[in-house]
Amino acid sequence: MDGAAIVRIRELKKDSVNFVLENVDLAFANSLRRVVMADIPSIAIDMVEIDANTTVLPDEFIAHRLGMVPLISANCDDAMRYTRDCTCPAGCPICSIWLQLSVTCTDDRTIDVTSDNLEVVPGPFGMSMSMDDAPEELTKRGPYFGHPGIAKEHAKWSPCSAVSFEYDPHNKLRHTTHWFEVDERAEWPLGPNAEEEEAPREDQPFDFNAKPNKFYMEVETDGSLGAQEVIMKGLAELQTKLANLILGIKPDLDMIAGGDGQAAGAWGTDGGNWNASETAAGGAWGAATAQDATSPAWANTAPPFGGGSSRRGAASPGRAAWSSSPPGGGGGGGWGGAQTGWGSPNRETNGWAT
Amino acid sequence: MNAINRHELFVLDEGENPVEVTEDTKIPNAATIRIAKQDHTLGNMVRAQLLSMPSVLFAGYKVPHPLQPYFIIKVQTDGTITPQFALETACNDLIKMVGDLEGKFKREFAFKDADGATGSNAAGGPTAGGDDPYGGGGGWSEGKDYLDF
Repeated sequence: MDGAAIVRIRELKKDSVNFVLENVDLAFANSLRRVVMADIPSIAIDMVEIDANTTVLPDEFIAHRLGMVPLISANCDDAMRYTRDCTCPAGCPICSIWLQLSVTCTDDRTIDVTSDNLEVVPGPFGMSMSMDDAPEELTKRGPYFGHPGIAKEHAKWSPCSAVSFEYDPHNKLRHTTHWFEVDERAEWPLGPNAEEEEAPREDQPFDFNAKPNKFYMEVETDGSLGAQEVIMKGLAELQTKLANLILGIKPDLDMIAGGDGQAAGAWGTDGGNWNASETAAGGAWGAATAQDATSPAWANTAPPFGGGSSRRGAASPGRAAWSSSPPGGGGGGGWGGAQTGWGSPNRETNGWAT
Repeated sequence: MNAINRHELFVLDEGENPVEVTEDTKIPNAATIRIAKQDHTLGNMVRAQLLSMPSVLFAGYKVPHPLQPYFIIKVQTDGTITPQFALETACNDLIKMVGDLEGKFKREFAFKDADGATGSNAAGGPTAGGDDPYGGGGGWSEGKDYLDF
């Protein structure tokens, strides 16, 4: 990548952000787009139990629509656990929230049932629902379980309602072909992003080596997360993915480099350093790569993550220490440190504790 | 009908290796790396980064089947570094770049926040409870609840 990336936010609203990303690869910009759409955890209603439903809408219909309701999901990835990772048999406060919808229409009219009618039911967690007011003519009620998830499982977990992505508004790179009847210019009017770039001259030859360099993106969320959170979490998620890939390659090197006892010792002592380096964003990684350049031996590059393992109390040396730290925890937790500032103050402690 | 369970797209199976390296027997300094439970998001990004490295002769990735949640990436280097090391370096570079971008986004957001906080709040719906609708915990009353658990 030539030069450092440039970001310019053109518009920031409560639920959307419009920005221009420059000096990055097309592949990278596309990964950012993909990651904000599909890899950010949010909370959505996933399990519905219907006690009584005398509305005109069938149960399935209501269950589906409830699933689409965006629930505020700030910090859900730190504070909650995926149901599949949770130790509880079927829903507990750590992996689910409990909502109740109890609406009755007694008048001779239709009423609107919105997400305002959803009530969060605090613990104790269980099925002890009181049935004090008997259902009237139109009643829906029942507990709904909101669970964290990501959009790869179901699109309802996507925090984004729309992500727009454009580059090369003048089609200088000819990545697309404009079909036209008579006049290409007239039939393909330029979008607003075209003002950002110089129009090609009439006689300009086609530069087949040119690469897209400027990307116009707009991320609009459904309200479950703020636009800023979506972007920052998307970037963090990218880092986690990359870190996990590095972790995946490295255990083999670790086996070759051997020195279990030595490695464990080094990790133990360096665990303390992690705290100091996490204040500087990306500092730990800078250090790690600097060492990479001089000596590719794994033991030297271990400390940034080793801190995580030893803090966790996993004193087992060598590979065991690595496998004891779950991929998300090892990579994500470590990186959580580099992002202090925008997340919650508890983020780090959560990262380490889980 | 043939599709796997959706969560298997991104959750590693029991005992599944996230990364498997197979060195090429016929091409020198080449390896095929199979990365489980990842898709084009990671594959394309890493491939592009590898290609930008001068010591990498070839890098390509593919998702062999859309219903199988893994991709393979083939790397050939000029011999100065191993393919694994090239991949590792590419990832490190990308992480640094993302970290850099994160800082830039943070600064831009902070700038915009100070700039047009009132305007953006005015657009807020009924859920805009607090002063800072973008903050992690702060304004989102629910956010606090999750952390309280």
